[in-house]
Amino acid sequence: MKSRVFLAVLCLPWFSLGFPENAHAMHIMEGFLPVQWCGMWTVLALPFLILGFRSANRLVRMKPALKMLLGLAGAFAFVLSALKIPSVTGSCSHMTGTGLGAILFGPAAMTVMGCIVLAFQALLLAHGGLTTLGANTFAMAVAGPFAAYYIYRFLRKIGAPLWLGVFTAAAVGDLTTYLTTSLQLAMAFPAADGGVAASFYKFAGVFAFTQVPLAVSEGLLTVLAVNFLAAHSRQELQDLAFLRKEALQ
Amino acid sequence: MLQIDCYAYANRLLSVHPGEKAAFSLVTMIICLASPSPVTSLAVILLAALLTIYRAGVPWRPYLGIAAVPALFLAFGAAAVAVSFSGQPDGYLFGLSLGGTCVGVTPRDLGIAARLFLKSLGATTCLLFLALTTPMVEVVSALRKAGVPALFVDLAAIVYRFIFVLAETAERIYISQSSRLGYKNLRSGYISLGQLAANLFIRAYRRSQALFTAMSARCYTGEIRVLETGHRVSVKNVAVIVVLDLSLVALSLVNLP
Repeated sequence: MKSRVFLAVLCLPWFSLGFPENAHAMHIMEGFLPVQWCGMWTVLALPFLILGFRSANRLVRMKPALKMLLGLAGAFAFVLSALKIPSVTGSCSHMTGTGLGAILFGPAAMTVMGCIVLAFQALLLAHGGLTTLGANTFAMAVAGPFAAYYIYRFLRKIGAPLWLGVFTAAAVGDLTTYLTTSLQLAMAFPAADGGVAASFYKFAGVFAFTQVPLAVSEGLLTVLAVNFLAAHSRQELQDLAFLRKEALQ
Repeated sequence: MLQIDCYAYANRLLSVHPGEKAAFSLVTMIICLASPSPVTSLAVILLAALLTIYRAGVPWRPYLGIAAVPALFLAFGAAAVAVSFSGQPDGYLFGLSLGGTCVGVTPRDLGIAARLFLKSLGATTCLLFLALTTPMVEVVSALRKAGVPALFVDLAAIVYRFIFVLAETAERIYISQSSRLGYKNLRSGYISLGQLAANLFIRAYRRSQALFTAMSARCYTGEIRVLETGHRVSVKNVAVIVVLDLSLVALSLVNLP
């Protein structure tokens, strides 16, 4: 009896994150990390933020129109993360837009916008938090976009077709975010038996149920979106590619 | 679209200086996080929730609804912290063995998870206090005054303004697609959502160009300057905040384990 109840409790995160409630990308909630870890992840995210910020500042000074574009891109990411992904079971999950954003705008700009969007999600949706903003920024706006962008660049360079590059980039971006978040949780809450490594497997295992399907959906949707853009909006994509090259210099 | 945003503009603490509300929220949050005792967490939860409901006048039913979402996420996060794997089944409060390993909850982990849940809920109620009493526009202008770089503040202002515009656009595209049999099954659902995302991006791109044109016509050269409504710092409020937070500190010092 006891073990059956326990099994039900064990399944709860899966049902609740996947079934009646929303499966979002993994945000670490407000107050979930001890103070010293909040500080550490903020310090780790800061250099990326400053770099992204500098390149954005230089670009904006060169082309004032870019400030509007970056702002609109942030609003786009926020709205995108609120859209429900259709699924068979009637559950609903949400896009993160990490891969799409990284491919369109480059990882440096994504870091700055991602941080702003995460702060907005905390203050407007009570999703994520202010004390965990540094940790979430590191996982969702640094690790995810950088992994997605460089995977995309690498696959395109070795001659992979566009769809494969985009799919892999978006899926890897999501998986990187999810594994980084698992690592952040594991480091803050190491297991009594087996330490950080055991704890990491535990968190990665528990959240794999929602995050792995999410990564596949995100990959598919990003391919569909990029194909649509490539077919109908070549000019805009070329403008953006030019900007990205400038930003990375 | 955003329930929290509505209350941020329609509450009784709207006229209070945003710096006071932010200071109360953040200082209380930090006290809650730094204090190891669950009594402090409970006190913070009660204090922040009662202030939001009685002082700011946010009705309790919607408040509970808003707070339930993060609380649910927290509960599952805490449950994930409580569960652990081990080779030997002794020492578990309850658990079950799968093959050679045992999955279960030890008293130590259960304690950690319970304290974590309370602490996190305390911090979340503080966040909700700030979110439900302070409009985003005032948060942004407070950031500007606090010396955050201009580009960051301007970007935040543009993001906030266009969240609503783009959300409305997305909703219209969604309705149009649905009325043309989009989303009727899984396959068309994916195709429709992919097109929605792409179209929304193009709309955002074009809007940013239109916004730039409109701003240029108003002498924009890279800096956005707006008039801001002034707030007066109230000595009484500051005193109340200091007293409340000091008593929280005292409470957690008394209850040190």
